Amino acid sequence: MANSGKSNRKWIWLIVILILVGVSGYVLWSRLLREEPLVYESSLDNFKYGSIGTEKDGLRVPFWIWLVLPRMFPEYLPGPGGYVSLGFAWEEGKELPIGLPKRTIGQPMVGINCALCHTATVRENRYEKPTIYVGAPAHQFDTQGYFRFLFACASDPRFNADNILTQLAPVYKLGFIDRLLYRYILIPQTKKGLLEFKQSMAWMDSRPAWGRGRIDPFNPAKFRYLGVPMDNSIANTDMESVWNMKTRVDHGYVYHWDGLLHGPLRDVVLSSALGDSVTPKTLPLADLKRVEDWLLNAPVPRYPFPVDQALASRGAPLYQSHCAECHAVGGARTGKVIPITEVGTDRHRLDSWTQEAADHYNAYAANYPWKFNNFQKTNGYTAVLLDGVWLRAPYLHNGSVPTLTELLEPVESRPKQFWAGYDVYDKEKVGFVANGEDAQRFGSELDVNVPGNSNSGHLWGTTLTPDEKRALVEYLKTL
Amino acid sequence: MSGDETRVRTLDRTLTDEVRESPVDRQERRTRRRLLLLLALVVIVVAIGWLVRRFTADRPVEYADIGEHFKYGSIGAEPGGSLTAPIGGVLPPYWVFKVLPEICPEKLPGGYASLGMLYEPGHDLPVGVSRRWRLGFDQVGLNCAVCHTGTVRETPASRPQLVLGMPANQLDIRRLFGFILDCSLDERLTADNLLGKIAAAGGDLGTLDRALYRLALVNQVKLTTLKLQRRIGILLQDDVTPWGAGRVDTFNPYKSIQFNWPLERLPHDELIGASDYPSLWNQKARAQSLPQAPDGMWLHWDGNNNSVDERNLSASLGAGVTPTTIDHAALKRVRDWAWTLPPPRYPFAVDDALAARGEPLYRQYCSDCHADHHFREGQAVGSRVGTVTPIADIGTDPFRLHSYTSTFAANQYDLYPGSPYRFHHFRKTNGYANQPLDGIWARAPYLHNGSVPTMRDLLEPPEKRPARFYRGYDVYDQKRLGFVSGVAAEKGRSYFLYDTSLPGNGNQGHLFGTQLSPEEKDALVEYLKKF
Repeated sequence: MANSGKSNRKWIWLIVILILVGVSGYVLWSRLLREEPLVYESSLDNFKYGSIGTEKDGLRVPFWIWLVLPRMFPEYLPGPGGYVSLGFAWEEGKELPIGLPKRTIGQPMVGINCALCHTATVRENRYEKPTIYVGAPAHQFDTQGYFRFLFACASDPRFNADNILTQLAPVYKLGFIDRLLYRYILIPQTKKGLLEFKQSMAWMDSRPAWGRGRIDPFNPAKFRYLGVPMDNSIANTDMESVWNMKTRVDHGYVYHWDGLLHGPLRDVVLSSALGDSVTPKTLPLADLKRVEDWLLNAPVPRYPFPVDQALASRGAPLYQSHCAECHAVGGARTGKVIPITEVGTDRHRLDSWTQEAADHYNAYAANYPWKFNNFQKTNGYTAVLLDGVWLRAPYLHNGSVPTLTELLEPVESRPKQFWAGYDVYDKEKVGFVANGEDAQRFGSELDVNVPGNSNSGHLWGTTLTPDEKRALVEYLKTL
Repeated sequence: MSGDETRVRTLDRTLTDEVRESPVDRQERRTRRRLLLLLALVVIVVAIGWLVRRFTADRPVEYADIGEHFKYGSIGAEPGGSLTAPIGGVLPPYWVFKVLPEICPEKLPGGYASLGMLYEPGHDLPVGVSRRWRLGFDQVGLNCAVCHTGTVRETPASRPQLVLGMPANQLDIRRLFGFILDCSLDERLTADNLLGKIAAAGGDLGTLDRALYRLALVNQVKLTTLKLQRRIGILLQDDVTPWGAGRVDTFNPYKSIQFNWPLERLPHDELIGASDYPSLWNQKARAQSLPQAPDGMWLHWDGNNNSVDERNLSASLGAGVTPTTIDHAALKRVRDWAWTLPPPRYPFAVDDALAARGEPLYRQYCSDCHADHHFREGQAVGSRVGTVTPIADIGTDPFRLHSYTSTFAANQYDLYPGSPYRFHHFRKTNGYANQPLDGIWARAPYLHNGSVPTMRDLLEPPEKRPARFYRGYDVYDQKRLGFVSGVAAEKGRSYFLYDTSLPGNGNQGHLFGTQLSPEEKDALVEYLKKF
């Protein structure tokens, strides 16, 4: 009897302990790991706000921390206005800007997606509300500034549970368990994660700033996960438009400024997601396929201001004779690489990509059902299709020429210094306003003497008469 | 050493032997000891409970009557959160607020009343200031009535009539903030001085209160003030056009208080955004669906929001609530009351014959944008009522419009996050909203920035409108429809000189009706008295 009573008690204890472990395990799982799918019915919304996987495993910040950081550390932002000062495109009524998906991984997590670098804003004047163009290069967005803001916050000793929870108190009431999880797990973990990411991007600090509208597209891949030995290359280049990809795919055009990738569009999308910090293990193939499908037929936005049709029609034949061979559908050299010796533009971006890097990327996905085989090393820059070129300022691969009018000037007449990223449109010169108090307040300085920023080369059209140039620029508005 | 110890121990045993207790005694002693222990425990628990209750209790002074609730009830704008990290609120604790004018008498000679705060008999706090126990003290906060209660007098000798829901034509809230910041940081604000003044004012503070004032509260007040000063100090400087009586800059303080924007890095002209307080009545009529505004009229001067409830929550932030300290139930009482609050009738005689001649003129020139006198019953005639007229067409001063930016709207979308209240109706517009004119007689001065003292002046071309006039005086000008605007001071209280040449104060634009004959204008003005 005594014996069985003791063993009964043991069982009861065991069951109690099991229940406790089970319940707390469930609570922890549900508040730290439980994944909720993020589903957008429209593929446009999916592009703008959908997940490419970073909230789970990549550059991610718990929403409640993300929300209070600009209020805690406004000094690490380029100006007043919270995150908007970095140039996010923010739709009316939305909780988060385009490009920052919010998905629950235990807690609401903020990641990044493709739209972050491929959504532009345009205004006619400072006082207007911006018009948002999805698929356009995010000329106004400071990607590096966003990274550096998060890094600076995480590096600051004030980034701690006491301060963050104090800052959150007037904004949102976390429950008791969540408060504990934030204090002891999420806040320290976020700090650690951001600092690790910062470490993996430390190579940026010895190179010129990207500035608004530009990124270094492949050095993050080379140094963070391809295992290419560190070099001193500078690859600051404009973000690109991603609309109308079907035309490019159908004609077999190469991708990226130097044409380092060719073949299926899928490779561009997958490798870009990897570049955005998603890991190969968690790459959400179905979600990315939706993105890819949207890109194929994403519409090219029309020039939103009046066009002088008569003038434009005088420009059309000039375009045919001077530009179409390289830049129009059907042009013999369109979508192909033009040797650097011929185009003569800044070569830093070209040189930053090597055969070794291409080999590494082609081998990178050997163990995954998706594979890369089409990375290559080229000797020049791609002659790109000019659809929606009015919205792709500043010009040349490195964004070193603010407007189309100035691109048609000889190199010595192009501006040596200007401010990039201000979203007020310059209808005269066709591009964005790049000078003056407001451009300076909002934009980032681009000095063509900084390595990687040279505005040399691409002399086509520079010998036209002023009248011809005006006509050509007017025609370019219609593309 | 060891010898001593032995001796003591021996002695002890001897003594114990001498007073050896009976087992009953021992039992009794043990029981007594246990009882004492229990008592001590109870006392400690009660004390802790009392302290916890004292410092975590949240008790507003409540008013059953809705009018009293509107004027004096709390919407949660008192500081809340925890004692160590208070959140929200723009006023110091009750007793500090009460005696502050006596601590810095030369900074506010006439007390809060000289700033246009309204006192009623039987109340020790002005209209618009609520009282609530939070964080272990009696706190005060602002409520809706502070900016939405006005006064009217027929003659200088008349008693001012309080009109609830009317723009606070008399209140200079920027000077109120300026005074509180200034005096809270004054070196005369010490615990000794404060406690003395409180005692003299009849404050019966207990020992614990006095200790807390000395140890923490005075420093807490100064700390909170310093934070507020750092955030909105720039808006109180001379190079930012003063708001003056009856006006507030709604959104610039908001940029720094809610979001901690470094205001000094904004373009300077964006910091100029003062505009008149609007009226609060007849909200239901504004929320109705119209062909041109299916989800309700566009509210605020620039028409940046079409949700009455969201607008209310936004205005409450301005009073000092936070999304976690707001008293939703209390605000809802005010909301439900303002929903159907009738606009006040014009309190003086109306010449009906003259008004009848004005009505067709109104229909011709005004009603398409501003509805007619039936709006008080909810009827909104006019195809453009509740929509926004672009700034290029309306031509009025643009500063207020430009101070509300799309960047700011984007920030607002994260207010009241994680709740059904999260803001999503705000938008950036390109002009000013066409408002219905219910109770328009009580909404002078006119235009969004209150740059034209009377309706009759508004019907003159801009160059004939007064370039400088006084605001805050509440004697009514029945002929011109508005407040008497030529009085600089009365009974020691001076009024605010409004200068239309300052940035943001322009009286240009809105030329509708300016081409009418003087007789027609008089008739039109008479008709507007029926609104």
